[in-house]
Amino acid sequence: MQPIRSYGLLVQWQARRLKNFLPLAIVVQALFALGIVIGYPLLFEDIDAATILFIATGAPAITLITMGLIAVPQIVAQAKTEGSLDYMRTLPLPRVTYLLADMTVWLAIVLPGVVFAVAVGAFRFGLELQVSLLVVPAVLLVVLTATSVGYAIAALLPQQLAVLVTQVLVVFVLMFSPLMFPAERLPGWLAAIHSVLPVQAMGEVVRGTLAGNQFPLELGSFGVLVMWCLVAFTLSSVVLTRRG
Amino acid sequence: MLAIDGVSKTYRGGIRANDGVTLTAEAGQVYGLLGHNGAGKTTLVNQIVGLLKPDRGTITIDGLDVVARPDQARRLCSIEPQSHVPIDGMTPAQAISLVGRLRGGRASDVRRRSAELIDDLDIGQWADTDGARLSGGVKRLVAFCMAAVTPGRVVILDEPTNDVDPVRRRMLWSRVRMLADEGVAVLLVTHNVIEAERSVDRLAILDHGRVIVEGSPASLKEGLSSDLRLELVLEPGAELPPMPACVQRSVSQGERILATVPGPLAAEAVAWAQGLHDQDLLEEFSLSPATLEDAYIEFVDRADAERRPGQLPAIAGPVEEATGAADP
Repeated sequence: MQPIRSYGLLVQWQARRLKNFLPLAIVVQALFALGIVIGYPLLFEDIDAATILFIATGAPAITLITMGLIAVPQIVAQAKTEGSLDYMRTLPLPRVTYLLADMTVWLAIVLPGVVFAVAVGAFRFGLELQVSLLVVPAVLLVVLTATSVGYAIAALLPQQLAVLVTQVLVVFVLMFSPLMFPAERLPGWLAAIHSVLPVQAMGEVVRGTLAGNQFPLELGSFGVLVMWCLVAFTLSSVVLTRRG
Repeated sequence: MLAIDGVSKTYRGGIRANDGVTLTAEAGQVYGLLGHNGAGKTTLVNQIVGLLKPDRGTITIDGLDVVARPDQARRLCSIEPQSHVPIDGMTPAQAISLVGRLRGGRASDVRRRSAELIDDLDIGQWADTDGARLSGGVKRLVAFCMAAVTPGRVVILDEPTNDVDPVRRRMLWSRVRMLADEGVAVLLVTHNVIEAERSVDRLAILDHGRVIVEGSPASLKEGLSSDLRLELVLEPGAELPPMPACVQRSVSQGERILATVPGPLAAEAVAWAQGLHDQDLLEEFSLSPATLEDAYIEFVDRADAERRPGQLPAIAGPVEEATGAADP
């Protein structure tokens, strides 16, 4: 029971710490997700229903990934600078508890916006979604992986370098990853790289669990993502446990 | 209880922060760790709680090797760090209670003890104020409560009185003493020697990462006991004329000058200082028995002189070795 109790208390601690920032962050995440669902289709003069569905089901993954790669490193870097990260590390808690509590709070920040944006998109464009229960593990895996990577970057690198690295990653994710367009449009070498990186898999598991009727879910994507999730989570746990 | 033996730590870049530090703090004791800024105090503390790993040496608490078991170190130690503990978004009451329970305290015990601490330190009027709106001193007291609400076997307080007003400082010291009386070893890290003199049972002075002397405040002052301490405060812009022979050692801290006067020459020194006062060179002066601060300055200067052979110490004079001196 002890780890569950610690986890609950830590979620309380982190949520209270972010209390003033929480409502605004939720709204910003919602606007971001909504911007993608409503705004992206404006790029096309004649857009068909399949493309709109592709975009609307890609938006959740993009939102979850950018939160992990931008918001998380910023919050962690601030915690590192102001000393609260080190203070929390002096409490008698398993490291994993600390990571999971943080991720729970971040999930609470990002999830309402994602659900809202997909719902608005479905209503606005009359999309036919077929939501599977597997959307729960899919979203959890995406959040866990993206926030672990963001966490490790912020904990490991000096603040300015962390900002640079996350910016490069975000450009890569937004512009050169097959989230809002099919992987076939990428040059062969980049498509090959993406087949083993987690970004494409993140897009596929979310899309496949939201609209399985149009985009069949491939278990291989889940496999790639589980592997990356384990690597990233282990890395951030090690970073957190590390003694100088 | 807390036993540190031969602990050394060198940071990347070659800065040796701790060099063979050895000391023991017993249960029921308030143990002072004194030293200048950068003397290696916080590095030592971070090794005790498992944030840093020593290059050499051992740290045990109740016989348990906490370098090998940093998880146990965190269970056995509670800490008020030198830097502020950010509790923005929370009230002091919430923060103290959450940390108390995160440290394994039962909800009812934590509630009772938290109320006691808030009451004893007279911070009740801010108990339900958002942390972001608290003054530095109140934040400091809240951080103390967070370390004391479910205390470890060792409670580490790093500069606990910084920014705290004089009245609440006294309340804090009495609460620190109560902690020790409960059977905890309190490791008090400070560069405020005057406060340490009144509060600690034993202390170690750390200089450039080494323990240069260790003992009780009385034992450290033994060598200075026949001397008196003359404190002069210059008028702004005034220059002090050369010291007479009766004023033997001096150190200047801005417009404040601390000097040592052998007991039999006290009258002569007072007459000299009174003369300066009459000429409006001094704002004020006082003569008092030697304090731990004098001993502290003496020991640090001697250590500096030993480290830089050929250079005379700023204060030169005979000082007996304190009991339990651990100068290697």
